[in-house]
Order: sequence, then C-alpha cells, then structure tokens
Amino acid sequence: MQKIVLTVIYSFFVRWFLKLIIGVQFPKAKFLVKEKQFIIVANHNSHLDTMTLMASLPSKILHKVKPVAAADHFGKSGIQSKLSGFFINALLIPRKRDKENPENDPIHKMIKALDEGYSLILFPEGTRGEPEKEQPLKPGVALVLRERPHIKYVPAHMKGMGKAMPKGDNWILPHKSSLKYGEPTAITSAEVESILTQIEGDFRRLKEK
Amino acid sequence: MKDIIHFKFFENNDILIVVALIFGILIFASTLFFIVGKVKPNANVKELKDRTKSWWVMAVMFIGATIFSTKISYVAIAFLSFVAFRELYSMLGFRDSDRRAIFWAIFSIPIQYYLAYIGWYGAYIIFIPVVMFLLLPLRLVLKGDTIGITKSMASLHWTLMLTVFGISHMAYLLSLPTLEGFSSGGRGLLLFLVFLTEINDVMQFTWGKLLGRHKIIPKVSPNKTWEGFVGGLISTTIIGYFLGFLTPLTDYQVIFVSFMIAFSGFVGDIVMSSIKRDVGVKDTGETIPGHGGILDRIDSLAYSAPAFFHIVYYLAY
Repeated sequence: MQKIVLTVIYSFFVRWFLKLIIGVQFPKAKFLVKEKQFIIVANHNSHLDTMTLMASLPSKILHKVKPVAAADHFGKSGIQSKLSGFFINALLIPRKRDKENPENDPIHKMIKALDEGYSLILFPEGTRGEPEKEQPLKPGVALVLRERPHIKYVPAHMKGMGKAMPKGDNWILPHKSSLKYGEPTAITSAEVESILTQIEGDFRRLKEK
Repeated sequence: MKDIIHFKFFENNDILIVVALIFGILIFASTLFFIVGKVKPNANVKELKDRTKSWWVMAVMFIGATIFSTKISYVAIAFLSFVAFRELYSMLGFRDSDRRAIFWAIFSIPIQYYLAYIGWYGAYIIFIPVVMFLLLPLRLVLKGDTIGITKSMASLHWTLMLTVFGISHMAYLLSLPTLEGFSSGGRGLLLFLVFLTEINDVMQFTWGKLLGRHKIIPKVSPNKTWEGFVGGLISTTIIGYFLGFLTPLTDYQVIFVSFMIAFSGFVGDIVMSSIKRDVGVKDTGETIPGHGGILDRIDSLAYSAPAFFHIVYYLAY
C-alpha cells in the first residue's frame, strides 16, 4: 500500500510539480537500481531537497529508501511521526547521541535500518541553515559508513533550492534549481575526519560540474 | 469539445502550406546531417543534430498548440513566459527580501494573458508597463529592506517587461479582430512572426558559420559577425516576402515588417548575450538540448514580437 502511495506521490505529482512549476532539473537516478544498498549524502538548504531526491528515485526502489529526519522537527506528536513515516518514509532520529540507551541513539537507529535492508538519504549538514550556504559536515554519516564499510555512499548536490523555499519562509517560489548525482563511492579510510573530507571533496566537484 | 478543438487547420490552405514547409525543412535538415555524419564521421555534427532534434520537438509543440486550438495557445504562450521569467530572474540573483514582490510578478502572468485572451486592448497594453511598474516597488518598499532596493525594483520590472509583456504580444495576435478578406487571421500572423524570427536565428548562424569574418560586437557575443547579420537580414526579408500571404499587408509592408523582425530579433539576441556575460553564464539553462535554456531560444522573440505586433497593428488594424 505504502509503495503505491509513494510511487503516485513522488514519481508523478511531486516530480512534475518540481519540474514544471518550480523549475528543478534532475535526472531519473536509474543507476541506483544496480546498487543493492546505498546512502545518498546530500547538501541541505530546503524542505524541497528531500522531495527532489525522492522524486528522482526510480519507483522500483523508492519504498526501500528512507530519508533521515530530526525527530524533534518531523515527529513532534505521535500522529506527525506516523504521517512522516508513511508519506515521506522518514526514519526519525534524535539529534543528540545516547550511548547508554542504544534504542534512542541516532547512529544505532541508522545502522539498524541499513541492516533491515533499507537505503538512507542523509543530510550531514544537519539543519537547512542559511539559503545556499555550506555548513561543516556532522560526523554521523562517517560513523555509520565506518560501521558498514561495504555500503557505498552516493554524493548528491543541489543548487537553488534554498532560493525556492528557504528556511523560515513557507512560501514556495519557482526558482531554477538543479540536482546532480555523483558516482557511488566506497569509503577509503576508517577515520571520521578523512571520510568527511572525502565527502566534502565530492560536494565541491559536483558543485562545479 | 468542439469549442476547444476545431480543426481550422484543415480549412485554411495558407497555414497548411507553411506547416508543410516547416516539416519539409526539418526533414531536409535531419537527412542532411544524417548523411554528413555517415559520410564524414569526423565532422562535428553532434551539435547540429541536437539542435535539429530540438527543433522537431519545438515545431511539433508550437504547431500543435497554435493550429488546433487558440485557447490552448494562450495557456501555452503564458507558460512559455513563465518559464522564461523563471530562468531570467533566477540568473539575476535577487535578495531574499524580494521574494514577495517576485511572487506578485509571477501572479501578473496569468492576469496579463487573461487580458490578452478577452481582447481588452487598453488594459492589456498598460497592465505591465504601468500597473505593475507602480505596484512592484510598493511591495518591495513594504518589506522595508532598502539596501539594494533600486537594483531589485529595476531588474524585476525589466524581467517582467522582457519575458511577459514582450512575449504576450504573441498571444494578443490571436485576439486581433477578423479582417475582411484575410482568412489566416491571428494564427497566420503568429506563425509568420515565429517562423521568421526563428529562421532569422538559423540564417544568421548559418551565414556566420559559412562566411563570418568581421565581428560586430566581440565584447558581447564573439560568434556574431557582420556577414551573419547581413546574410540573416537579407534571407529573412526574402523568405518573409514569399510568406506574405499569411499577413493582411501589402508587398512593401511585408518587406518592411520582415526586415524589422530580423533586425529586432538580432537586438534581442545580443541584449540577452550581454546579460549572460554580466552574470557569467554561457547558456541560460539545459532545458533544450543543443540550444541551452528556453531564454536562449526566445530572446529574439521577446524583441521581435512587440515590434512586429505594433507595426502590423498600426498598418492593418
């Protein structure tokens, strides 16, 4: 049921709304079907980011990909977290680590979802921040990749989305924007710092492309 | 249903001839580049092939939208305006505090096209140049962010003039009253305008590639040459003369108006080039393969449409 709903919403309505009205240029990410599991790592400027990434996924794998979202924002109440879970397929995580209690630990939750066979969409910048400004990456993504090094990450870079729907303004304005994917890549080191540097390098290359 | 789709197309031989001509040219171009590609595998025809393919899509869309039903044409041209507006304003880099005014500007697109649709000429012709000209600064002022406000006021209204007011003249052609003894009507005029403007672009490009030596304005557009410009002017005027049956004009008037389409189209082209230079992009987008963005294709139309419209309006209506 959820699979059909997600396909109708993202592969049809959201997809054409973004393409025709907002003016987002994005490819259909067919190459992801070949990857068994992956983590899409993207920059974050707008609520439209998740929508665009989901709309670019082939409908065959759409229901197997969970965008990771902050529980305090998308799961304020029980109903809201149910709705986010159903319509965005979101994996809600707390912002702070909780090593005492693995059930409530964001890193543990992400690894658990991977072990269940899901792929993830992660925004390592954390919050959306100022429109079109980059922020330092948070270590969470590196901690997850380090634990499951056989899973590749897929860098994705979006431009202009922060102008279409920035933080602090709920009005969507058509604005030309784009999403570009990089190659699925495996991490080359177990160091958190160097994993983050590797991802930042991917972002920079995609930005200039 | 009959109201929405009536196949006037089959009842009007003049338009049918030109549609056949357009497809004839496209078939010729596709065959030519296919053969050149086979015979000389080293020749770089990929760009030309991409361009021709895109021309096919654009021609089919344009002919589909204008020939079958005028109602669809208004919506299609309005959407074209919207996409062009979006491309241009996104390039110009507005402030975050301009968002509400930009929203107003976008909202004026359906109003402008509705005025064209109901044929209320007086309101249509002042709506953007007067009403929006006065209202947009008000919305910007209400927001209260004065740093850089002059630039926002100027570029927002200018964008609206170029992409909405200019392009909407294409739609108003369809609302012109019927003239006795002139059967092609607004569709004929629209077809004449778009065909000549685009053929002028192609002719300038072709003559420039064949003979181009002397650059006109190397600082703005290094590919524009005197040979291309003059070659385009002459060929477009000649082609326009032979297509004069699509207009209610006399022979001399058709020659003049074709010349003006070629000239204003060129001006529109270099104006857009200069903006691209200013903001530092090569093409305005990747919407149409081989051509760049929508703007790269309709920059000439934004200039030739009002020029053509007002000359014809003065001479024949």
